Amino acid sequence: MGKAIVITSGKGGVGKTTTTANIGTGLAMLGYKVVVIDTDIGLRNLDVVMGLENRIVYDIVDVVEKTCRLKQGLIRDKRYEGLFLLPAAQTKDKTAVKPEQMLELVNALKEEFDYIIIDSPAGIEQGFKNSIAGADEAYIVTTPEISAVRDADRVIGLLEAKGIANPKVIVNRIRLDMVKRGNMMNVEDIIDILAVDLLGVVPDDEAIVISTNKGEPVVAEENPMSAKAFRNICKRITGEEVELLDLDSGEGKFTKLIKLLFS
Amino acid sequence: MEVLALKEELISFKGINEGIYIYIKKGNFKDIKKEFEEKLNEYKDFYDGANILGVKSENLKDEEVEKLLHIIKDKYGLDIDENGLPDYLNEPSVYTGIDEGMTKFFNTTIRSGQVVEYEGNIVIIGDVNPGALIKAWGNIIILGKLRGVAHAGANGNENAYVAADILQPTQLRIGDIIARKPDGEFLASEMPEVARVYSGEVVIESYLAKKQ
Repeated sequence: MGKAIVITSGKGGVGKTTTTANIGTGLAMLGYKVVVIDTDIGLRNLDVVMGLENRIVYDIVDVVEKTCRLKQGLIRDKRYEGLFLLPAAQTKDKTAVKPEQMLELVNALKEEFDYIIIDSPAGIEQGFKNSIAGADEAYIVTTPEISAVRDADRVIGLLEAKGIANPKVIVNRIRLDMVKRGNMMNVEDIIDILAVDLLGVVPDDEAIVISTNKGEPVVAEENPMSAKAFRNICKRITGEEVELLDLDSGEGKFTKLIKLLFS
Repeated sequence: MEVLALKEELISFKGINEGIYIYIKKGNFKDIKKEFEEKLNEYKDFYDGANILGVKSENLKDEEVEKLLHIIKDKYGLDIDENGLPDYLNEPSVYTGIDEGMTKFFNTTIRSGQVVEYEGNIVIIGDVNPGALIKAWGNIIILGKLRGVAHAGANGNENAYVAADILQPTQLRIGDIIARKPDGEFLASEMPEVARVYSGEVVIESYLAKKQ
């Protein structure tokens, strides 16, 4: 029986889709059977980020409406055998799927897969409600900005109300130089407000932009810091204890700070 | 997408060798039933004694067709042939107007999430962006860039084709055949091109074979 995890944030543009693609790919690289689901109906992106747009024939609406079989809707990744994508529909809207249908879909996928990673749309309306309907756990993506953290806080409250307790936070696009200068919120501040566990910290990284445009999640690359951060997040998801990445190559103050937080 | 703005009649009587049958266009059952009764009232006497084969509809459910048959029999007292409609009528008909046929024109950019559908040929004067879908029973001609998905011969005609000034679709479908854009970098032509099916595969070539 697999585990369903929703990636959500409230605010748009903080990196939900990038995070979903990288966690999905990262878990598949560790040998798990993974399906990533795009629930952003009408504004689908996950297929583009994963470079699978040209393979789409059926989508999530076809699957829940039973226009096609579940197997037909799943697109096999071009590189990792155990990785599949269920794309959103582009020509419909969020009302095309109901939460009960999502629950049924996710439960069916849990029979087949180790991890079901659900990419949530921005906002807290119908699309968000669909995305969390079948989820066992939630990971909140936020950036070190007050607005993003505020929205993350709101979403954590909504998730708790829906019975998805103890969501974990991924702080994305952090810039250590700015944190040091005091121009950016640090991880400690964010966790202080949100009062939930930290799953990982991903640095702001050019490599993400490049890999996104190529349609190949960065996690598969050897060197970029962001890739290492995502690989560590994946290991933590599987239960392994991994220290937080030393983003400040050289000094190590940051690691200490985060180690402190994580313990 | 609406094909014609004019109000069309939903019901028509068609004569074939075996007899006559009633052809019903796509519409909702209430409208169809109303027009059905009006037509029967009008032509009841005319068709009395004719060999009525049955009802062929574009979108009605079996039980709705059954209801209409009951109206013919019980309310208007007309007999229906026991053999029903001849088999060849039930085979889906493939659109054949790809050399000469109904064509719809669009002079606009077709954007992500938009769908253009027509039961004939489609001409787009403008670009078709990624995430857009063009679906025609016949050919698709794009005077601009095709970057989205195009489905020509959508109800089964594999002789239909897709032509564009710049032909770089995410996916091309002709009839039941699906071809996709190669992954990664590839050499794209700057010339207008046309995609056709040759022995079960979608082939992209220059408009005129001699012009490379």
